Amino acid sequence: MSDDYIFDVKNVTLRFGGVVSLNDVSLHQNRGEILAVIGPNGAGKTSLFNSLTGVYRPQVGTITFSGEPGHSVSVIGRKPHLLNGAGIARTFQASRMFSALTTYENVKIGAESHKGLGAVGAMLGGPATRRGEKLSDSRTWELLDFVGLRAEANTLSASLSYGARRRLEIARGLATNPKVLLLDEPAAGTNPAEKLELTSLIRKVRDRMGVSILLIEHDMKMVMSLAERLYVLNFGGVIAEGTPEEIRANDAVVVAYLGSSDTGEAAQPSPSETEDTDAQG
Amino acid sequence: MIKQWLGSPLARRVGTTTALAVLLMVMTGPSGSTSQPTAGFVQSFSERSSFFGLFVTQRWLVWAALALIVSALIRVAKWLKSDYAEMVAIPGRLARSAQAPFQTKKPVRFGTYGVLMIVAILLPVFVTDGFWQQSLVEQVAIFVLLALGLNVVVGFAGLLDLGFVAFYAIGAYATAWVTGALPAAAPFGVHLDPFWAIPIAIAIAMASGVLLGIPTLRLRGDYLAIVTLGFGEIVTIFLNNEYGITGGSTGSHQVPHFTFHVGPIKYAWGLGPVPYYYLTLGFVVLFLIIFSRLEHSRVGRSWTAIREDEVAAESIGINPLKYKVMAFAIGAASAGFAGVMTAAQTNFLSPQTFLLSFSINILVLVIFGGMGSIIGVVCGALLVQVVSTWMDHYTPFGFQSQDLYMYLGAILVAMMIFRPAGLIPARRRKREIAMSEAGEGHMDEMLTGDTP
Amino acid sequence: MASIFGFFVTHFGILRKEFWPLLVGGLSNGFIYAMVAIGYTMVYGVLRLINFAHSEIFMSGGFASFFLMRALIGSSAPGGVASVLLVIGGVLGGGLAGAFMAMVLERVAYRPLRRRHAPALAYLISAIGASYFMFNLAGKEFGRYNTSMAQPFVNHTIFTLFGAPVQMLSMIIALVGTVMLITLDRVVGSTKLGRSVRAVAQDAETASLMGVNIDRTIVIVFVLGGFMGGAAGFLYGLGFGINYTMGFTPALKAFTAAVLGGIGNLRGAAIGGLLLGVVESFSIAFVNGAYLDVVVFGLLIAVLLFRPTGILGERLGRSA
Repeated sequence: MSDDYIFDVKNVTLRFGGVVSLNDVSLHQNRGEILAVIGPNGAGKTSLFNSLTGVYRPQVGTITFSGEPGHSVSVIGRKPHLLNGAGIARTFQASRMFSALTTYENVKIGAESHKGLGAVGAMLGGPATRRGEKLSDSRTWELLDFVGLRAEANTLSASLSYGARRRLEIARGLATNPKVLLLDEPAAGTNPAEKLELTSLIRKVRDRMGVSILLIEHDMKMVMSLAERLYVLNFGGVIAEGTPEEIRANDAVVVAYLGSSDTGEAAQPSPSETEDTDAQG
Repeated sequence: MIKQWLGSPLARRVGTTTALAVLLMVMTGPSGSTSQPTAGFVQSFSERSSFFGLFVTQRWLVWAALALIVSALIRVAKWLKSDYAEMVAIPGRLARSAQAPFQTKKPVRFGTYGVLMIVAILLPVFVTDGFWQQSLVEQVAIFVLLALGLNVVVGFAGLLDLGFVAFYAIGAYATAWVTGALPAAAPFGVHLDPFWAIPIAIAIAMASGVLLGIPTLRLRGDYLAIVTLGFGEIVTIFLNNEYGITGGSTGSHQVPHFTFHVGPIKYAWGLGPVPYYYLTLGFVVLFLIIFSRLEHSRVGRSWTAIREDEVAAESIGINPLKYKVMAFAIGAASAGFAGVMTAAQTNFLSPQTFLLSFSINILVLVIFGGMGSIIGVVCGALLVQVVSTWMDHYTPFGFQSQDLYMYLGAILVAMMIFRPAGLIPARRRKREIAMSEAGEGHMDEMLTGDTP
Repeated sequence: MASIFGFFVTHFGILRKEFWPLLVGGLSNGFIYAMVAIGYTMVYGVLRLINFAHSEIFMSGGFASFFLMRALIGSSAPGGVASVLLVIGGVLGGGLAGAFMAMVLERVAYRPLRRRHAPALAYLISAIGASYFMFNLAGKEFGRYNTSMAQPFVNHTIFTLFGAPVQMLSMIIALVGTVMLITLDRVVGSTKLGRSVRAVAQDAETASLMGVNIDRTIVIVFVLGGFMGGAAGFLYGLGFGINYTMGFTPALKAFTAAVLGGIGNLRGAAIGGLLLGVVESFSIAFVNGAYLDVVVFGLLIAVLLFRPTGILGERLGRSA
């Protein structure tokens, strides 16, 4: 464990009424790391994301985010838009673009969201406003090129393919200049070719932009090839942590994915088998 | 056989047409009273009346014919496939209509506006009738200003504000206050010109908008509507009862006219409506420019984002409360400004003007024209206000001014059923409604569980 | 400081002296608010929307029973069995008119929007339009003035409660209100009809998969709420007379009551209604009568801001 971290989650518990969604979860993400969180449906993965981005407010525990080395903020109790300002960007499980806006406009909103209010400037149309517009325009084009959506700039975001929507969400998140990007099941609903594209795009985001990646994904092939380290959640608690190889060999993980197997056959499932089981659950 | 026919589309159409004809007949028919509750209904059918002085005939004949024509027109419109229907046919067609290029050019299209401008400037030359000149200011131009302001709140930010009239009242009373026309002493004992009331009234209206907005704009849309309605009622009750401050139910008759006095140039607005018309027109143009700039700025895009998906908007750093309060404040400021114009032009204010129905009237202008569409709102306001003024003045088919709100209510329902995006829809709004109806996006869904 | 202290001493003095009469008056109004609040809360439970036009259902009930009473009651005030039958007739007449108007409202102003999955804003606007249309049409057809209703009984004091006279009308309102509220609670709580209502309120999609007819259930909800509202219109009309705008203020107060009790919660609406009636009545001791409505609106705003789920918590049959 290094001291140069992005996220440091300690003993977080999140309840809704009587339902415990996250139970004493601790998690550590190093700066620059591609970290994945896996687990069966309902294990609390999305609740974890929502807690990390300020949408939910865990009752117990601490979450610390460090955008710059030596500088950290406490996440719990901060509003999502402030956390985004601090350097946390995310995508959603079912993509949530602004579907009545074009691809270009979607990214541009991200690029300009942290530039103050400017209502008066906008109404008067002063030179500062025009300069700001120009800056966001060039930033938007840059990002559209980066994710390969330049050709779709004027398309209404709702009519994009699943793969393109994911890339758009990533571009919109990146437009806010984050230090970490949280991806909630980016491969859901995409075809194998799109999956490969996404995998290389995610790696490119980390390598070229230096943005750390925290990933929830069901597609084991993608997770195992992309993630440097994994956490496994089940019933709201962390049941395993380690490198892809370690996780593959972990009995608890196998049991969680296959259900408590009576036959004791659960030896070492290949990644593709794990994926199949998950698809059923 | 009969049962089969009753279920057929033709039967449905006959039924709807009949219902429409009956409704129109009753709406335009004579009134009844508690002692003769059926008189209005019965006479609506039986009475013979003159239609626009052209011919005299049985009322029901005319309305049945009208309903048939309307129903036929609806058929034709459906057949021609309105672009709205096309929007609903997602996703194949959507992809095509989405190819319109985004705008980086001038947000104001000078062609359309230029023609409108020339017409507006020349209007008083052609309209020489005193009543209509007066109405152009009091019933049309001021209402366009108000509709443009409410459009920022309802159209851009998607917030239903039913207390809009309160800010209009605040503007008007602030004018009366600083010009020394209220029982409450003018600030610093100086009686100012109404021009000086403009910044003061805007500041007061804006401040009350912010104060009301910060706690209430966190609420769901329908709660916000009720809370703003309650606020409007509270303001009215206050104006009616605080005789020592507001003059109570009698209000004030002593608000002075605008005067302009800089160096050698001196001009005083008087009783004549034409100078006021040009003054208001100038401000309408100013509003048009600044609001359309706002729409196409970062702020306008953020409003769209919040309207569509607040959670996603927050995740990219947009503070929803800040932008909602901003829309609220801008709306309040423009209502306050319209209040100054009205107070100075009519010299008169009374709590009777500032009722909930006034807010509803403005809402109708925005909804009819098209939420979020500036040009739509202007055209909608012109059309509705001119027609209602005309009906009020010439009382066709025994129209009574109290009946106005019955028609306005019907317009709201009809628009929501048949053309929710309005007469001249805003591009974004139209897409959004189509999306929401196709189950795309996260815009306040109904009848679906809200999963955490 | 001293003057604030003095204010409370004086006004609590008034409250103490007039406690019982104010309580009786407040509860009597409270039953009416509760009956109207039920309509808001039920519609909210299944559609998650505030039926802005509910005030006009109340008004329709008032007018229908007004015409019924005028047709049935001669010049002299009836008594005995005739009075009982007339009151039942008025409740039924007002209730049925309310239920019918609610059905029409749902059919015309809401269903076309539901078919299209229109956004929430559209429902609100449509409902506001319907409300304005309805009360102004009533004003046009029945006149725009207040008229008192023919009384089906002699409104004398029947007993005194700690020195507070309790009149016949208050007793009838309390009786009818109690019977109707309990019946409704039973209907929703333990009949097959009620089960479908609760199922739709909990999860419309699942309910429809389980074979519950959503359209029918929504109509039932409007009819039940409309009946309660219409009957409340009759009771209100007996005391205050009828008027085309009679729905506005009581309905806004009933809405406050529904929010106070936790919108979507049936028993909450009943308790909220009674509570609001009493709070409103007691506030007479503290503020000028003209500002009574300000107290209620202020309460509404305060509840929405500080405890939007109300006293008993939100939602019809919704657990988490």
